Amino acid sequence: MKRVPRNLARSVALAIGATLAASQAFAQPVDTARIQAGDANDWLTYHGTYRSYHYSPLDQINTNNVSNLSVAWIHIPGRSTRGLQSMPLVADGVLYYTGSYSRTFALNGATGEVIWSYIPELDEALISRQTHSPYNRGVAIGDGKVYVGTMDGRLIALDMKTGKPAWDTKLIDSEKLTVGFTGAPLYAKGTVVIGSQGGEWPGRGPIFGVDAATGAKKWQFDTVAPNEEAQKTWGNDSWRTGGGGGWMPGTYDAETNTIWWGTANPAPLYDWSGTDYKTQGARPGDNLYTSSVIGLDLDTGKLKFYHQELPHDAWDFDSAVGEFVMLDRDGQKLVVHPNKSGYIFVYDRSAGLKNVWRITQNSNFVKDIDPKTGELIGRRDFSAGKVAEPLCPHISGGVSFNAGSYNPKTGLYYKLGQEWCMTLTVAKTTPITAPQAQLNIGADFKIAPPPSGEIYGHLDARDPVTGAKKWEVRFPEPPLASVLSTGGNLVFVPDSRGTIHAYNAETGAELWNHADGTGHQGGIVSYAVNGKQYIAVTAGFGGMASDDYAPTFGGVYKSMPRDDGALIVYSLK
Amino acid sequence: MKLTRGAFLMRRNLQPLAFRAVSSVLLALTLCLAGGREAAAQQSAPPADAQLDVQALFTSTCGWCHSDGGRAAGKGPQLMNSARTDDFMRNRIKTGKEGAMPAFGETFNDAQIDSIVKYIRSLKPDQG
Repeated sequence: MKRVPRNLARSVALAIGATLAASQAFAQPVDTARIQAGDANDWLTYHGTYRSYHYSPLDQINTNNVSNLSVAWIHIPGRSTRGLQSMPLVADGVLYYTGSYSRTFALNGATGEVIWSYIPELDEALISRQTHSPYNRGVAIGDGKVYVGTMDGRLIALDMKTGKPAWDTKLIDSEKLTVGFTGAPLYAKGTVVIGSQGGEWPGRGPIFGVDAATGAKKWQFDTVAPNEEAQKTWGNDSWRTGGGGGWMPGTYDAETNTIWWGTANPAPLYDWSGTDYKTQGARPGDNLYTSSVIGLDLDTGKLKFYHQELPHDAWDFDSAVGEFVMLDRDGQKLVVHPNKSGYIFVYDRSAGLKNVWRITQNSNFVKDIDPKTGELIGRRDFSAGKVAEPLCPHISGGVSFNAGSYNPKTGLYYKLGQEWCMTLTVAKTTPITAPQAQLNIGADFKIAPPPSGEIYGHLDARDPVTGAKKWEVRFPEPPLASVLSTGGNLVFVPDSRGTIHAYNAETGAELWNHADGTGHQGGIVSYAVNGKQYIAVTAGFGGMASDDYAPTFGGVYKSMPRDDGALIVYSLK
Repeated sequence: MKLTRGAFLMRRNLQPLAFRAVSSVLLALTLCLAGGREAAAQQSAPPADAQLDVQALFTSTCGWCHSDGGRAAGKGPQLMNSARTDDFMRNRIKTGKEGAMPAFGETFNDAQIDSIVKYIRSLKPDQG
């Protein structure tokens, strides 16, 4: 037997140790610190990191070589009823994403190989009765699990490595309320937060905090009248007609252990109150905490602060949509948040208002919003009957539910605006306080062009705090998908016709585009595996906004499927 | 057009004080939906003689997709002057269409679905 020289043995041991250490580092669980730090190779939460930039620092793909971008691989999730609307997440080279019916996949980020899939068994009869269904907007990851909500009111945790269910918690009586979860959850410090649908239904619009380890419900915050102060803002006990909810994910401020979340509109969407909305109509008062941004303690769900962006929202322009861009400017820690109205709100880290600016050209639901006080100036509160002047923007919003992108290298906020309006006839309704056929709208309406001409959409590059515009690119139909900007000085816009575009982030010059075969209305992210950068985008059309495109625009939308979708991943040739 | 408001649209005391005057709920639907799929099936549809305020139904629910109260195409087709047969409409309302229209077969009974079809057939251009 030969003796191994002592030095050699030590070297081998060191090498093995280093390899194991590297392996352990590779297997380091996704936790709050990792999501906060936001390694460039990953995309660990819906909004990218807790700072909510929808920005990747990766610059391998850049303005000089983006013309060499080509498809690396494609994944078809199947059964993409109403398209594909989710935001992929990536950790340690594995891509996690969902399709309709909460079909969940873990894929090799370099090859697209399926590592595991999870197809939940859902209450199909319930889902067949739902209007805002069966799409899913994505997952959260953390503590070794993948978390996904379902349309029948459950939050499910899957083992990140195997896809096997770790727990399955029923949070909402969806069979009674006919609402569930379409939005992605948020993971932070051992808690999974998820908000329910709510704006159109007679519920209390709850947001839940769930123990990531066990699936036990830790807290519930009802966005409709959860306390005495809020109940006073719903005259005639109209909080029973409900609404609210938080159907898109918010974010987490680690410095204050606070969850930021946006809430949806009250029901009915349109009120017949006339100008005296404080005492008249279907829901007299401000209707707290609907159409608001709220700050909740992560551990208890206790309300720490709020700003109601639209007191007594009578237009369905709820605040549940959009990112919470956390940036520092002139020594101030700010949060930038859009709502469906097309107004963008700038806050300090306690929701103290710092500024308000508007991205849409066509807007008349108010004359303006005071940038200092947030007061809605010249608001239009309708009486029952036909509304003479079309309402702008359309119910689908001045911005979509998808996210814009803040690029810290350019200091610009890239956000899509939508220019469209609607005719409407408001009805004097009787209160709907228990689930009925489905919704509680309160008006008949129809999409209409804006007074300035045709419907269109635009990508704006603006200062996120002042709203000052640097450049704009127009689209014949409003793009509905999320936007991605990168360290390669690029902005990616997946449009509604099915083309993905790349623009110079400084100038707006188009540098590349590619047809993905069907319209986009979901997420887009960038990540790296083994030193190679990828761009992943979901394609697949259909849903509450995009279903209007075929009758409104005709053309390619007439034959565009609303039950199909694909995840398409690009890299350099 | 507004069909007769009958037993289906009932007033109900949810809160004896403040809410009494404004509490009108679709009781039969509540019963139908309250107990989940199995319970809903067991409780079956609302009473056969129950009538439906179809105009209100369009204003609350159907109108998001069938624009202008069914008079114009939206996410769903224009219903006014539809070339579809009554049987087709009844079946579509009952069973829905995946990804396009919810199924209302557990929510409305045959008589109520008939009243919806009757309402659709009566639609005229909005003169307002």
